[in-house]
Amino acid sequence: MSKSVVVKDLSKEYKLFANKSERILDLLLPHKEYGESFFALKDVSFEVEKGDIIGFVGVNGSGKSTLANLIAGIVPKTSGSIEIDGDVALIAVNAGLDNKLTGRENIELKLLMLGFSKKEILEMEDEIIEFAELEKFIDQPVKSYSSGMKSRLGFSISVRVNPDILIIDEALSVGDKAFAEKSLAKMHEFKEQGKTMFFVSHSIGQMKQFCEKVLWLEYGVLKEYGDAAEVLKNYDNFLKEYGKMSKKEKKKHRDEGMARRLNSKADIKLETK
Amino acid sequence: MKSSIIVLKEQIKNFHLLRRLSWYEIKSQTSGNYLGAAWEIINPAIQIMIYWFVFGFGIRQREPIGDVEYFQWLFAGILVWFFLNQGLMKATRSIYQKIRMLSKMNFPMSVIPNYIVVSQFYPHLFLLGIGIIILQFMGYPISIYYLQLPIYTAAAVALLFSLSLITSTLATIVRDVAMMLQATMRMLLYLSPILWPPTLLPESWQPWLKLNPFYFIIEGYRNTLLGQSWYFLENPMYTLYFCGLVLVLFIIGSYLHVKFRSQFIDFL
Repeated sequence: MSKSVVVKDLSKEYKLFANKSERILDLLLPHKEYGESFFALKDVSFEVEKGDIIGFVGVNGSGKSTLANLIAGIVPKTSGSIEIDGDVALIAVNAGLDNKLTGRENIELKLLMLGFSKKEILEMEDEIIEFAELEKFIDQPVKSYSSGMKSRLGFSISVRVNPDILIIDEALSVGDKAFAEKSLAKMHEFKEQGKTMFFVSHSIGQMKQFCEKVLWLEYGVLKEYGDAAEVLKNYDNFLKEYGKMSKKEKKKHRDEGMARRLNSKADIKLETK
Repeated sequence: MKSSIIVLKEQIKNFHLLRRLSWYEIKSQTSGNYLGAAWEIINPAIQIMIYWFVFGFGIRQREPIGDVEYFQWLFAGILVWFFLNQGLMKATRSIYQKIRMLSKMNFPMSVIPNYIVVSQFYPHLFLLGIGIIILQFMGYPISIYYLQLPIYTAAAVALLFSLSLITSTLATIVRDVAMMLQATMRMLLYLSPILWPPTLLPESWQPWLKLNPFYFIIEGYRNTLLGQSWYFLENPMYTLYFCGLVLVLFIIGSYLHVKFRSQFIDFL
């Protein structure tokens, strides 16, 4: 089978500035280093085959969404490489919807932004509306929608766009069961067509049901990547263990993770040697 | 230069996108108010009345400017100012406000400030239409000079687009730029020939005031609407200066825009 996503030594660095003047200096004097580096992701490498369904797990702030955004091409990478074979669509709750416009208008707006022509949009619109099951609300402004309705709309658009690679960032956790099942059915359909999917979720149950492989991130570093059942078991154990830790131990664990991410570039080079 | 070509190409290639997005922008802006689009008229009308009252009625004691009544003089100049001011301010804020809407990084981002400018252009045309009708009843009927109107309208759009490429990029990186610009625009309202004729100042000051490119557009509109002269032909050097300035601004703007746009999202 051919690869659909190859990620190599991918890092995403953000700068943490102690104050605003540092931030300005960093912009004005690019040859000097100001501020502290923070690695949202550090040297992550993995490969995904076509048709794989991958889950991303990890505690809050471990870099799951950053990784999803990097693969979707929304956020630029700092170093490393991502090779992607095909179109990517990211579904996140509330992503890219204009609150003041109606659902119908948002569909056109979103499709325009994705680069579809007038004719294509007309063809897709009805199907999206039907799938989203918004009924009368489709002509109401999006600000009156519940979060479930918003994510249904977002999901319906992204699904109809027919991407080769689909990234679902927490979007399904807000839908009701009926819609979640419908979405899962749709995703099974995609799977049969050989599409690759990424799942970002905190729901281990959903992951077990659907994912074949799981990627576990811890403090921006890839902790484990492999067969879903195995990784999820380890992750579950870790969560239990972490829950049992005393406050002090927890803090130490967090601090260690933080230290790894904060180190300046020079230190990291030494460490990896 | 390369970036200028990239930016220009993006505008042409995405013309349909530009039109639809600017249409939705207007809809989105006006949907929240009960009076909706009517505010595009009510707001300027209130401002014109107060300026006329303070400057024309109060300070100038209803004295005409040359042989033009103050109200007509103000009216013919200020119509385009609303477009210049609103267009520039909104376009400056456009990138950091809209970037979250984008779901792909390869979106032609230079379209963003432009579609905001275009979305302000529709109300301008509407306001201009109403202004022209009002002027008919005030002793300034449509004349042969109206033929030059498209030139100044195009000049206004070109200037706004070039300028907003610069300001929208800078404002995304440093938010304060938008605030600074707002203060500058407030200042320029008084330094442009809108509320009082700069001919009141000594002769030696005139060229300095004319460095402000809005001066050219406002005087052009006024000379057209009041049927006074072929402004751009009678001031060829000034016309040349204006075109040169727009070109330089566009080159700088597209250079900055293309250089920084891949990192825009990180500046949020």
